[in-house]
Amino acid sequence: MSAAGGLARRSEGQGYRVAVIAALVLVVMTPVGLILYQSFLDAPFFDKTARMSLEAYDYVLTDPDFWTALGTTALFAVGLVAVAVPLGAMLAFLLSRTDLVGKRWLEPVALVPMFLSSIVLAFGYTVAVGPSGFVSLWMKETFGIKPWSIYSLGGMILIGGLSHVPNVYLYVSSAMRSLPSDLEEAARASGASIWRVSLDVTLPMVLPSLIFAAALNLLLGFETFGIPLVLGDPSGIVVLTTYIYKVNGIFGTPTYHVMAVVAVALILITLPLVYFQRLLLRNSRRYAAVGGKGARATPLRLGPSGQVIAWSLIALWLVVSVALPIGGITVRAFVDAWGEGVRLRDHLTLAHFAHVFDTPSLFRGIINTLLLAVIGGAFAVAIYLAVGLAGHRNKGPSGALLDYMVLLPRALPGIIIGLAFFWVFLFVPFLTPLRPTLVSLFVAYTVVGLSYGLRIIQATLLQVAPELEESSRTTGASPMRTWRDTVIPIIRPGLVGAWSLIMIVFLREYATGVYLMGVGTEVVGTLMVSLLTSGSMDQIAALAFLSILFTALGLGFALRLGARIHD
Amino acid sequence: MTTRRSFVVGALGSAAFFGSSQSSFAQGVPAGYPADYADLIARAKKEGRVAIYTSTDEAQGQPLVEAFKQAYGIAVDYNGLGTTDVYNRVISEGAAGQVGADVAWTSSMDLQMVLAGKGLLDTYLSPEAAHFPQTSIYKDMVFGTSVEPVAMIYNKNLLKAEWVPKTRADLVKLLQEYGKDLKGKVASFDPEKSGIGFLLAQTDLQNTSSFWDLAKAFGAADGKVYGSSGAMREKVVSGEQIVAFNVIGSYALQWQKESPVVGVSFASDYTSAFQRVASVTKNAPHPAAGRLFLDFMLSEKGQAILADKGVPPLRKGYKGALDAEEIGKLTGGNMKVIPVDEKLAGNMNPKLRSEFFQIWRKAMRGEG
Repeated sequence: MSAAGGLARRSEGQGYRVAVIAALVLVVMTPVGLILYQSFLDAPFFDKTARMSLEAYDYVLTDPDFWTALGTTALFAVGLVAVAVPLGAMLAFLLSRTDLVGKRWLEPVALVPMFLSSIVLAFGYTVAVGPSGFVSLWMKETFGIKPWSIYSLGGMILIGGLSHVPNVYLYVSSAMRSLPSDLEEAARASGASIWRVSLDVTLPMVLPSLIFAAALNLLLGFETFGIPLVLGDPSGIVVLTTYIYKVNGIFGTPTYHVMAVVAVALILITLPLVYFQRLLLRNSRRYAAVGGKGARATPLRLGPSGQVIAWSLIALWLVVSVALPIGGITVRAFVDAWGEGVRLRDHLTLAHFAHVFDTPSLFRGIINTLLLAVIGGAFAVAIYLAVGLAGHRNKGPSGALLDYMVLLPRALPGIIIGLAFFWVFLFVPFLTPLRPTLVSLFVAYTVVGLSYGLRIIQATLLQVAPELEESSRTTGASPMRTWRDTVIPIIRPGLVGAWSLIMIVFLREYATGVYLMGVGTEVVGTLMVSLLTSGSMDQIAALAFLSILFTALGLGFALRLGARIHD
Repeated sequence: MTTRRSFVVGALGSAAFFGSSQSSFAQGVPAGYPADYADLIARAKKEGRVAIYTSTDEAQGQPLVEAFKQAYGIAVDYNGLGTTDVYNRVISEGAAGQVGADVAWTSSMDLQMVLAGKGLLDTYLSPEAAHFPQTSIYKDMVFGTSVEPVAMIYNKNLLKAEWVPKTRADLVKLLQEYGKDLKGKVASFDPEKSGIGFLLAQTDLQNTSSFWDLAKAFGAADGKVYGSSGAMREKVVSGEQIVAFNVIGSYALQWQKESPVVGVSFASDYTSAFQRVASVTKNAPHPAAGRLFLDFMLSEKGQAILADKGVPPLRKGYKGALDAEEIGKLTGGNMKVIPVDEKLAGNMNPKLRSEFFQIWRKAMRGEG
């Protein structure tokens, strides 16, 4: 290999990186920059009377309600992580490293809480375990007491935590599945119990994915909207997202500048988190587990008592986080009244579904959501892979820039990103024809899902040991060729996993469309938010039920076609 | 102002008159409309569609849309949004010079007045205007399309019959005396989240002396606040909440028919009522179709269709479901209808709002 040829190939890879990173900076910084600019104005940026001012900062920072909301948000986010990460990691271990009975069908079921937007989830819990929920009423009749309240911070944390278990599970199991089993087998052979193996052998090997999962769920906790809105807000429990939501009403005019300040505050809180995360993972080589010597994983044997214990735990979790909310939604979708003194049997109806199919916008919403999730999701994964490769083994400043670009949008609530893209598609001349099309939603969704999708892809990329790529490069292949012929084939199962994850993320998304959605671009999640403002609970329940049904069907179809969530 | 407008209209009228002599005359022009209306219909049909931004539930609005389509063969994009979203969207799109709505139809009367003030709404001399009271039309820009009294709803199984409030005074007394028994079981509109919630609270504050007593007793009883009437219905039907006040009465009557658990009561000493207002936007993409739709909404037929879905009509001389007589009987004749006028824009005064919310929040924390 001549020196000149090597240089040309290196610059080929370099040129690719520069192009991808530049495009990413443009797509991410346009909305973020707009928000930053807006925060320093005293009126909406398109208002002719808008002047540079710190008025909005002054308002927010001296508002005691802001500080209360900030404290509540922090408690909620930390609590959510404390519930979701241990449970998610445990679930991942049981389903990916052991011979647990029935794990093949258990996996799609375990993902169900992710299919639901948190508004619907909160709604489902209300019908099941709220003050007049059917489980609560049964408890009261049977035991004379109802020992819980879901309209409290504790209740919100538990529900938020349980609903984020699948997020942790997907990250961690994605990493666990590519681990060879020789280390675990060695530990088992030397007499360690299965639980000990999981804690001392498996867990340390997937530490990066655990850290990512924890950090990202912390960010998700900061931007959760539906659960606090439905469960906390009526009783005056306010978090930052509901604070943003209410600020508009308090002023009675579009208070985009105040909303922007809160968004900037969220970025300032979450950036150090991103920095910390990068610090922890600086030495990524330590975590490479798939070496040049390939090894297929063989599952650990749980034994009869292990099976029983594992199944009891999983069954309990499934009842609480799948059966209760879905049961609640199902009941609600087929009745027109429920609660104390109401015999559900007398109120059975199919009218809510008939209404959904008769109403053009609701019906279009279902079709659009499917298009966006399945086709949009596939395109999004291709984009994430392109970005992932640009950052792969990139330890220079451009790699750092890329990492921040990826995490920046995650620091912002979907509702704010959607609003910023609404402005972009409204005011950038050559983009305006795209606003009434699904493309506008696709772009915003892709940015919202960026860190989710990329972390999955990066976690998979990290598992490919550098010597594989190095051997490809030393035999004369260009970086592009190395990626095409070596890296991508190895991570292909991870890509299918990423696609299914993104599909789920796009299906359940509701906040991003609040400002972007218009006639012809309705999506189910956002329709539920707008129906909530008009109080059409019947249609919300029917839509929620249908979206669960369609997702379940789609997933079943994908599994049948052989596109398994993991290899 | 008036003279100039009538001049413009006169000019348009004569132009249309000469124009229409060669076309087939006045096909589809509703009775009592000027002959040149055929021209508007023709232009609207050429535009082919009309876009509505509205806070009205599709269940209430859809029959109107269907009837309009049938009458004129013009497609309708029905955009169901919250009150604040209708407002924000019209403002942002107006600023970008990309107006998307032809008609804005919302229950937030005060927000619509601000849009009028900002010059985002167009004037239109509707041939239906004569059938409506003066307090329903503002400068030919904002048109009241309904009159909707607020109600109290309660769970019949959980509220003792003798506790059911018949007047506003009863409600205040109930919360003051039995607040402990009703702790966490009373609901109302959230003025912070909902535009219509704020409008109703302001109206009560201006028209009754007991508003803050009510708010304090409500806060002390750990009252819960919601962003929509439908959410309150859900809570009362399920028994999570027992009483809700300032619920949109037309919806409440519908729910009473649907559910044996729901009881409805209108206060006979004071009941406020708002008007759902509609306007055509300035620089609308389909200006003729927008005007046609507005006229259709205000027409006898349109008002009857809305009444059929529980939205009481405003049109003078209307007889049928939820007509003036029936509404008067329900509310004991003491209904206070919020007029469509400039004073509403005063609700947007930042000082007024921040002072209101300071006292309101204190009351909600039970510190009143």
